[in-house]
Amino acid sequence: MGFTSAVAVMWYRQVKKFYMAKPRLLGSLAQPILWMVFFGLGWSSTIRGPMARMLFHGLDYMSFLAPGVYMMSIFIVSFMSGVSVIFDRQFGYLKELLASPAPREAIMLGRVLGDSTVSIAQATVLLMAAKALAPGISLATLPVASLVGFLAALCFTSLGSIIAFKMETFESFNIVNTFITMPMLFLSGAFYPIDTMPAWMRHLAYVSPLTYAVDATRGLLAGYSHLPLAVDAAALLAAAAALLLLSAAAYKRATVG
Amino acid sequence: MIKAEGLTKRFSSLTAVDHISFRVEVGEIFGLLGPNGAGKTTTVHMLATLLKPSEGEAWVAGFSVTESPGEVRKHIGIVFQEPTVDRFLSGWDNLYIHGMIYGVPRGELKERIRKALEFVELERWAGVLVKKYSGGMLRRLELARALLYEPEVLFLDEPTLGLDPQSRAKMWEYIKELRRSQGTTILVTTHYMEEADRLCDRVAIIDRGRIVAEGSPEELKRKLGSEVIYLRSRKASELIDELREAGLSARMLSPELIALAVSSATEAMPKLFTVLGNLIKHVEEISYHRPSLEDVFLHYTGRKLRDSEADAADFIRMVARVRRW
Ligand SMILES: Nc1ncnc2c1ncn2[C@@H]1O[C@H](COP(=O)(O)OP(=O)(O)OP(=O)(O)O)[C@@H](O)[C@H]1O
Ligand SMILES: [Mg+2]
Repeated sequence: MGFTSAVAVMWYRQVKKFYMAKPRLLGSLAQPILWMVFFGLGWSSTIRGPMARMLFHGLDYMSFLAPGVYMMSIFIVSFMSGVSVIFDRQFGYLKELLASPAPREAIMLGRVLGDSTVSIAQATVLLMAAKALAPGISLATLPVASLVGFLAALCFTSLGSIIAFKMETFESFNIVNTFITMPMLFLSGAFYPIDTMPAWMRHLAYVSPLTYAVDATRGLLAGYSHLPLAVDAAALLAAAAALLLLSAAAYKRATVG
Repeated sequence: MIKAEGLTKRFSSLTAVDHISFRVEVGEIFGLLGPNGAGKTTTVHMLATLLKPSEGEAWVAGFSVTESPGEVRKHIGIVFQEPTVDRFLSGWDNLYIHGMIYGVPRGELKERIRKALEFVELERWAGVLVKKYSGGMLRRLELARALLYEPEVLFLDEPTLGLDPQSRAKMWEYIKELRRSQGTTILVTTHYMEEADRLCDRVAIIDRGRIVAEGSPEELKRKLGSEVIYLRSRKASELIDELREAGLSARMLSPELIALAVSSATEAMPKLFTVLGNLIKHVEEISYHRPSLEDVFLHYTGRKLRDSEADAADFIRMVARVRRW
């Protein structure tokens, strides 16, 4: 019942499952690319010139957007993986896991690490493609950006599973999507700057860890961030720690049978 | 190997399992037979330490389920009533993950997986996604998974639910082979009479959370007399008095149905005519048969169990359970 072997094998499970579901891989890569192409090219040909550079803090819109879409991809993939605990419950597999003698924290941690690995891998591929549309971004800092991405992924997989344990049915899935995923994305600063938002939106934005994650990656990949990297990193670390603890608690509380 | 004493489980107002006691010896195949909602699954969950008993105590492989659940868990394997496999992984991966989280020594794991898959004849399907398995294969995979840890005690909760007769027979073979080759003690729950009869050394009939009868299938059947005569009549209550006066062991099953336990129906039948005399004209239907466990169940509970064949309702129930969970 080694803690580490349980973590390792759960990591293996999440990565293997992802690997076995290749169509899903394509689907979740296509979505952010479509955002880059249509949303990105659409707006960048509308807002251009010196005015735009001022709005976007010296960046062209594509360079502004690319780190946002990178983080959006991490957010969606990891959040949804977290929520997929509900599928495990529906298909009975959660019972197999929870009935085992392995520590539940280990099961949770392995799962979260596996899902985070998957979302980073996917987002990295995406960023390579995005570079073609946004030549202004730099990939030299990608390793550091991946670290930030990984911290963010830990946050969102944990958040997803906390919510999944509260959900009774699949139907709640859409509600979560509408009232959590969408607002978090719109508030994150991925698509437009935060400093020009109405005050109430800005306040709300700084409650969400996604905002700090977008800001940090933009700083790393495009060279502009609103807050110092250290502040973003500290906020993300704190959020990841808190959410991991809450998620472990949710696993411990879950009943079998 | 398994001992339950006054084991009880209450869910708020409902008493799902009501002070049951029984023993299962080493190497025995013991059946818990009962209709839907009898409390079979709840009992298994308590024995497997997944549910805390509200009252009473049980010992599995020498350890108390309330005091040392961890030790109990190290000695048992369990196949749940509803499937608990990961459908989007291969059979091999399912076993591998199980072995790892259940602490099977890593050096032995691959060899044990190979043996377990060979035992249930799924070697050729090892690499295939489980969602492509048939119902029978899925159950066999779950059996293989429960064997990885080489448990001393195996709990099988309705292992053949929803399977066709061939797959069911195959499952019985595996279970018997397991006992023969490993000496595993096996507790199996079922609501199939035939299964309890053909598979189990001893059976406890459970109804509404209580054990109403216990013994080998033969013993239980013999207790009823070797054969049963059924009389259907609108005047059943009058008839039964006559029959009892004549010293026959008669029971009222329903307002219009009487069961007579006799040693030989063919010899008892003529005697019936004498005993009932004039009343015989009120008898609308006479039938007799050798008792099955079905009759035993009927005898102790006054209710029918259910058809012995898997049917569509089973399947729907199974699906509904999966959903509920
Ligand atoms: N978690 C629970 N909460 C409340 N009631 C429960 C719970 N689990 C089981 N019950 C109730 O306890 C009773 C016994 O259920 P149990 O699942 O043990 O029966 P069973 O013999 O396994 O039946 P089946 O053949 O349908 O599987 C049922 O009335 C059931 O509704
Ligand atoms: Mg049951």
